[in-house]
Amino acid sequence: MTGPNITIAVEDLVVHAGSKKLLGPISFELPAGNALVIMGETGAGKSLLAQAILGTLPDGLSAEGIIHLNGERIDQLSSQQRSAFWGREVAILPQEPWRALDPLMIAQSQVRESHRYVAGLSRKAAKQATATDFQTLDLTGAEKRLPSALSGGMAQRVAFAAATAADAPVLIADEPTKGLDAERSHTVIELLAKVPREGGTLLAITHEASVAKHLGGELLVLKSGDLVERGATKQVLAQPTADYTRELLDAEPQVWPTTPTTEAGEMLLEVKDVAVSRGERTLLQGFDLTLLAGERIAIAGPSGVGKTSLLDVLAGLQIPSAGTVTRSNQVSSTGIQKLYQDPPAAFPARVALGKSLKDVARLHGEDWSKVLAYLSRLGIDESLLKRRPDEVSGGELQRISIARALTAKPAILLADEPTSRLDPITQRETLAMIADIAAEKGIAVVLVTHDAVIADKWADRRVVLSEFPKRQY
Amino acid sequence: MLQRSVFWSALAGRAVQAVVVAVVVGIISFAMMQALPGDSAYRIAAGRYGYDMMDAASADQVRTELGLDQPVVVQLVSWLGSLAQFDLGKSSVSGSPIAEELKTQMGYSLLLAGAGLLVSLLIAIPVGIMAGLKPGGWFDRFSLAASIFFRAIPAFAIGVVLMLGFAVHTKLLPVAGFKGPEYLVLPALTLGLGLAAVSSRVIRDAVSEAMSAEWRLFSRTKGLSSKLTLSRHVLRNAALPVVAYVGVQLAFLIEGVVIIESVFAWPGIGHALVHAIFGRDVPMVQGTALALGLMYVVLNLIVDLTCHGIDPRRSKTA
Repeated sequence: MTGPNITIAVEDLVVHAGSKKLLGPISFELPAGNALVIMGETGAGKSLLAQAILGTLPDGLSAEGIIHLNGERIDQLSSQQRSAFWGREVAILPQEPWRALDPLMIAQSQVRESHRYVAGLSRKAAKQATATDFQTLDLTGAEKRLPSALSGGMAQRVAFAAATAADAPVLIADEPTKGLDAERSHTVIELLAKVPREGGTLLAITHEASVAKHLGGELLVLKSGDLVERGATKQVLAQPTADYTRELLDAEPQVWPTTPTTEAGEMLLEVKDVAVSRGERTLLQGFDLTLLAGERIAIAGPSGVGKTSLLDVLAGLQIPSAGTVTRSNQVSSTGIQKLYQDPPAAFPARVALGKSLKDVARLHGEDWSKVLAYLSRLGIDESLLKRRPDEVSGGELQRISIARALTAKPAILLADEPTSRLDPITQRETLAMIADIAAEKGIAVVLVTHDAVIADKWADRRVVLSEFPKRQY
Repeated sequence: MLQRSVFWSALAGRAVQAVVVAVVVGIISFAMMQALPGDSAYRIAAGRYGYDMMDAASADQVRTELGLDQPVVVQLVSWLGSLAQFDLGKSSVSGSPIAEELKTQMGYSLLLAGAGLLVSLLIAIPVGIMAGLKPGGWFDRFSLAASIFFRAIPAFAIGVVLMLGFAVHTKLLPVAGFKGPEYLVLPALTLGLGLAAVSSRVIRDAVSEAMSAEWRLFSRTKGLSSKLTLSRHVLRNAALPVVAYVGVQLAFLIEGVVIIESVFAWPGIGHALVHAIFGRDVPMVQGTALALGLMYVVLNLIVDLTCHGIDPRRSKTA
């Protein structure tokens, strides 16, 4: 069944957690020079497929089915035995490149060690190969930088070079564009699209239709672990037959309906000639903004431009290096609330969610029944409150944090990429809910997003930040 | 270039701190000695000649000789003045130069502190790594219980129990004093157990965090063996919080040295400090307290520089 050209063949792959089926059965064959894209919302089991092939399933999960990699049957091998293929037979591009790079090691060393120890080059040859990688990937100048000084796009390219140093014939990419702005995710997609063109095999996992469209090849659509549709990517995207695929495509920001404009009330916050800097670098200068009650403003711009710092200045958490931020006396000291990009980081990890919320309700003298009303409106079942933050999904947690922010009765809600980790369907629902509630209560919302399309469709007004000329130092 | 400037700025910062510590420790220890009840001239005379051999006349003689009848401010200023010329003065009791005495005592104290730190690391590193590789496992829970137990018991109590067990009842080791290397075992173990109780937990957290980090998995999936991943990535990342914590622990180390030296009659600075307080030997108290304070500053400097060596992010921002 595995022809000479087939690099990955999967037959009736099923992933279980105890007796519960999480994924499958799934079968596919992927010849060299082809791409397979797997699409689905968060929790659809997309990542489990890659983990089952690699042998990196979390404890407690087990996989059944036959897997062939480059002509060799590997499903019966242990994770330890399969680790011999990693980097050599199959390269793995990680999710969230920032977290995948060693924070204490400069970029070029992380690539060089792959050439040296995985590809087995001599010290000198590894150095040469690394230099070539940095040149072809347009990373010149980033050689000696630490991951914290790399942009998301650069970190993704460094990770790409490190993962593919040994020229493995198969590349698996799990959500390669997560958290990247449009321009940078385009660079990564180009990089991936080159793999099948040059004779390699690409297995890409994504929730974005635009990514799938660029990569082409074959498409599998998963919903809660079940295969709902498969076919040539172009075909499926153009004429989806399953309802779920259609729903997934409708959730793409490009096809969102424009959120109706709300009537603005009185002025809540006035920002005059503000400059924002991080460390010694000036990120923004001469920024003006007037925020009215009930208004929705989107601040868009590429990653690293200072959106988050600006939001902290608006919240009064950071002092601007110049200019003034004036609150109207309508806005109390807790009248500005913030939603964070990474919901798990915004909750105490070992405390049940219900307790966290009750504390906030008590502090702000809000009725518990009102909090429950917010939650049910946001589609959160009360039973979830017994769990800890790591026991609910990212989408659920973000909606709980919205309820938490509303409990503090804010006049202004600052939202820092609140949906960048959510899949398109949950993203659209969550943003629609924020808009609804804000309109009803006359809350002004400032949304920070890297997605210009979302900014366009969702906000009353849009502020686009462009890169401030960087000072060399 | 960068590294060097970081080195000098750390050194300069600590030098300023050392001067401040010297003045503050000198003033505070002087003030506290003044606040003690009783006539210090009598105590010093008793220290010199023995309780049976002294009388009011010898006490008066001590008083004039040491200038104890002068106003306190004058005494303090004269001490600070000599300190500025790096002169610590002479012991009121024995009359020998304090700098000489400190030199020998410092050697013993550093030996004990170093041995205690070594013992603590010999215990904490294997225990912490084993617990951190399987968080929540039986070994992790067992070591947590042991850690709470040893941290909750004061150092002198651990010392007395060890003394009873190993020296008094079984006679395996000497009880106290210092006449050879075997005398080092019990005090170093007492100190080490207290230190390891906390540092093993810090190591455990650092290891378990590093092992579950995404960069560790990526290092494996890009093809590095688990051994290379450990040596090239995990150890350095895990070492960072541990080294930083050792700095915090120094306060406990110095406090431990004072107590443990007294329990084991160890001829170090802490022991000398306690004796000087009993004998009202003010210059000696100031000298020993100063030495302990400066030891703290120097050890912190070493920790700072080590952290800079491990963490390249610091030298970029400094």
